[in-house]
Amino acid sequence: MIAAIIDYGMGNVASVQKALTLLGIENVISNDPKVIRNSKYIILPGVGSFAQGMENLKESLLDKVIVDEALIKKKPFIGICLGMQLIATTGTEPHEAPGLNLIRGKVIKMESTNLRTPHLGWNELNAPDDSFFADFNKKDFYFIHSYHFQVDDEKSIGATVNYGKDYVAAIQKENIFATQFHPEKSQKYGIELLDKFFKKNA
Amino acid sequence: MLKVRIIPILTFNGWSLVKTKQFSNPRIVGNPVQAARIYNSRGVDELIFLDILASKQKRKINLNIVKDVIKECFMPVGIGGGVKSIQDINDLLRIGADKVILKTEALLNPTFIKESANFFGSQCISIAVDVIRNENNKYMIYNDLGIDITMDTFTKQVQDLGAGEIILTSVNADGMMGGFDIPMINEAVKNINIPVVCVGGGGELSHYRNLFTNTICESVGSASIFHFTQHTPLDIKNTLKEIGKPVRV
Repeated sequence: MIAAIIDYGMGNVASVQKALTLLGIENVISNDPKVIRNSKYIILPGVGSFAQGMENLKESLLDKVIVDEALIKKKPFIGICLGMQLIATTGTEPHEAPGLNLIRGKVIKMESTNLRTPHLGWNELNAPDDSFFADFNKKDFYFIHSYHFQVDDEKSIGATVNYGKDYVAAIQKENIFATQFHPEKSQKYGIELLDKFFKKNA
Repeated sequence: MLKVRIIPILTFNGWSLVKTKQFSNPRIVGNPVQAARIYNSRGVDELIFLDILASKQKRKINLNIVKDVIKECFMPVGIGGGVKSIQDINDLLRIGADKVILKTEALLNPTFIKESANFFGSQCISIAVDVIRNENNKYMIYNDLGIDITMDTFTKQVQDLGAGEIILTSVNADGMMGGFDIPMINEAVKNINIPVVCVGGGGELSHYRNLFTNTICESVGSASIFHFTQHTPLDIKNTLKEIGKPVRV
């Protein structure tokens, strides 16, 4: 029973693996559909642009694998950063492109306020009491993004973050979990959050 | 609320950590992996690791050493030194770098900033902007490539090309531990809208109080104060907390 970290040429797989290994979760970095289909958990990390990310997933036929496993077979799934954004219906970075559509919504550029973009650094979560993320309410996590996920159904919002206005920081719907921030880079609380994901879905 | 960031900077010469004064006279200050381990245990906000001689010596950064440094870190790490291709960036991201810091290539071939930001996203492309005050008190980009460009022109250009962050270092203040170049920082930050890490001059806690009181700076990078005094990043945070800045402790 192993966690598959999807490798599609979009960054931080090593950091995610390091966090899982610290937690004692058996894991593999892979782009092999067979390995991913046989895994118990799917982790979709990633940094970079939405369109490039989808292109890479499609090239290795992983888009269909993820939809089958997460949406149809309900395998525990966690998307991180770009991996959260790619589960949207549509992305816009750098141009409009269809996403995996596990959670309905659109990924758009953060509104220009007088604040600097990207939204970069440690910021605290606001999580309702009944959310999976409730234990981490008001705790600081590491964010680095210029686009945000505008979710159609507010019930799937697990936590928000305020940067001039409230943005979706985390998503949870059934077996699908996702964070805009980087738990694997968020020291103690980030590791605890990943631990909670694996324990809940053990 | 977004917290201010206090970022230790490790400068590396290819085999050892060094600390320069005004970008010369490197003094050996220890082992990068050990330093990374200590900063991780102190829960610092972020870490920057720069091979300051890679471009000059026309070599690649040593990926094995970078890997060992990153292995110690459960916080974000920015890596720079000799990065000049998409492949170089991919090599660093694959082993766990969160941000890649460009300098020489950004000056020689500014469109590379755009190319890399389009490929990897702006958020992981940071630019090291080293600034020297010339005899006419103008802020110019410090380089040995024969490129003559003002700080304001270059920072604006870098932002327009899609960089996600600027690491702004005062060459005059580097390693001197005499305080930050407040006028330089004020001039730079009002000119651009991407995050800026202010570097150069921190030697005592009052310097940080002064920096955060007299500029709209939101993050600071430092090396000497951690190498040569007993102060830790947490001491700086406690100082900034006293003046009402949001810090992560």
